[in-house]
Amino acid sequence: MGQLISNNGRVSIQGVSLVKSGHAILNEITLDLSTPRIGFVGRNGSGKSTLARVVCGLIKPDQGRVLVDDIDIFKNRRKALSKIGILFQNPDHQIIFPTVLEEMSFGLTQQGYSKDAVRQMVAEALAQFGKAAWSNRSISTLSQGQRHLVCLMSVLAMQPAVIVLDEPFTGLDRPITRQLTQILEDIDQTILHISHDLEALCTYDRVIWLERGTVQMDGAPQAVLPAYSAAMDAIGGQDVFADITG
Amino acid sequence: MFSLTSPVKSPYHNVPPGPKFFLLMVASITLFLIGNIYLQAAALAFVLGLYLLPGGTFFKEGLRMLWPLWPFVGIVFLWHAFTHDILPGLIIILRMISAVALANLVTMTSQLDEVIALVTRLITPFRRFGLRPQILALSIAMFIRFLPVLIEKGGLLVQSWRSRSTRPAGWRVVVPLALLALDDADTVAEALRARGGIEPDKI
Amino acid sequence: MEKNIVIIALFAALIAALGLVPKFTLASGIPITAQSMGIMLCGTVLGSRRGAKAVLLFLLLVAIGLPLLAGGRGGLGVFGTPWAGFLFGFPFAAFAAGLIMERWRSDNIPLVAGCAAAGGGIGALYLIAVPYYMMATSSGLDQALFTAMLPFMPGDILKAILAGYITAGLAKARPDSLLSRA
Repeated sequence: MGQLISNNGRVSIQGVSLVKSGHAILNEITLDLSTPRIGFVGRNGSGKSTLARVVCGLIKPDQGRVLVDDIDIFKNRRKALSKIGILFQNPDHQIIFPTVLEEMSFGLTQQGYSKDAVRQMVAEALAQFGKAAWSNRSISTLSQGQRHLVCLMSVLAMQPAVIVLDEPFTGLDRPITRQLTQILEDIDQTILHISHDLEALCTYDRVIWLERGTVQMDGAPQAVLPAYSAAMDAIGGQDVFADITG
Repeated sequence: MFSLTSPVKSPYHNVPPGPKFFLLMVASITLFLIGNIYLQAAALAFVLGLYLLPGGTFFKEGLRMLWPLWPFVGIVFLWHAFTHDILPGLIIILRMISAVALANLVTMTSQLDEVIALVTRLITPFRRFGLRPQILALSIAMFIRFLPVLIEKGGLLVQSWRSRSTRPAGWRVVVPLALLALDDADTVAEALRARGGIEPDKI
Repeated sequence: MEKNIVIIALFAALIAALGLVPKFTLASGIPITAQSMGIMLCGTVLGSRRGAKAVLLFLLLVAIGLPLLAGGRGGLGVFGTPWAGFLFGFPFAAFAAGLIMERWRSDNIPLVAGCAAAGGGIGALYLIAVPYYMMATSSGLDQALFTAMLPFMPGDILKAILAGYITAGLAKARPDSLLSRA
């Protein structure tokens, strides 16, 4: 993005709790995240996606707050947009506009840049990925992998300090996943990556295992991933279709 | 998909929906024929009495269902206050509350499947116009199946918007949502055909 | 044939969804619901017959007791106010909007769709809703216009314009999505 200074943001989750329909989805989570690559693992329903949304300021926690580089991302939405961005699972549930140019321009326009500046920034972002020809392409002509890339480019164009990835490679084939992973490896921003793909997280600085709204384990991938993997295998031996109690 | 049927049991719950609906029609027409304010007030008192019979919880639930009427009451009152013509305004307001309250009572005390069965019976004369009970049942089932899906997808699109803008999500997200609905329609139609499809009626 | 039935059911669900998706409003701060815009869209996108059927299905489901109207309202009660003429007029609104969309074959989709949405969602709709109000309250035209038209007109004009844009957006994103122009 032409940045000489590292854009490595710091996320401070302070006592975040969230209750929905009587269930504690998040239970007093406190985490200080400052290393560049942090992974999140946990079963579906463990609260990972909800935490991702709270961290981005999309959901208000019942208690606690989240600061990104000392900005309260729920109270100060305006500054938050420049601080943290999120990539969801399915680009079809994320892309709002019909062309690549419009989709990538949206966030930048909302951040307050002038029309000319937006056009320039989008052109630069596309060129950086070698996709200058995509500018006027209709989203419906793009493949799933290409749509994922559009979402990624749209988020990166806003130059946040932190990017949250909520299982963004679900359903993609291996070559495309590798390519997108490679792109992510090179960026400066702090990445918080929720994933079921444990292989992708093993080079990360830190992995956090979330279970039923609380932090089960938190540390180096070499420690957390095998423990998590073993626990998942053990559960696999039981009846996984039974209702989850509690 | 939850319905507006009240979980609080009342004697009215045991009456089948057909007679209740018929009584509602008769009562509504009667209400519209009454032009006397005292009779209207008495009618409303009677209706409220019907609500009190099953107990306080039921009554409060009924009041809650009536609450959305307040802007309508307000507008009517405003006009009639402005034209110094309060009495007809009051009649309109009382009649409206009674009519809506009675209709709500039928809704609150009828189970969804019973009502669907009633509707299905009622449309049998329209069979020659192509409206078959099986098609109606299928349409209702599809609706109930896909409404939560559309709401969820709409919610995700709104989140995608809010992660990039401080302005509230507006009409722009309707386009991708409508496209998703069209895509879902394609997929479901395919699935239906794969399971034998819907046979045209041999009339 | 299956496709018709399915698309009607799904667009009926879309009308409902427009009123039920959290944190979605048409204009910031102003509580205008998007549902009557959904009615217009049924007409402009699906055409007259399918559009009307989708709206009828939606109304039927409201009537049987599903909380589908914005604010979680529903049941037979919503048909009991003098404003019920709007509900009864919805299918005609969709039909008229669809008809205009089908007959006026200009390529200027935003214009045609906007006019279709207005013709159906305002023209046809108020032609039914206002007399119904007069009948239900034994009132004159002036009262009916004040209480049944004035509060809603500005919002409905906005919705017709937006419906035009949305229809155009659909046509641009996927040209064959407009069944009214199939």
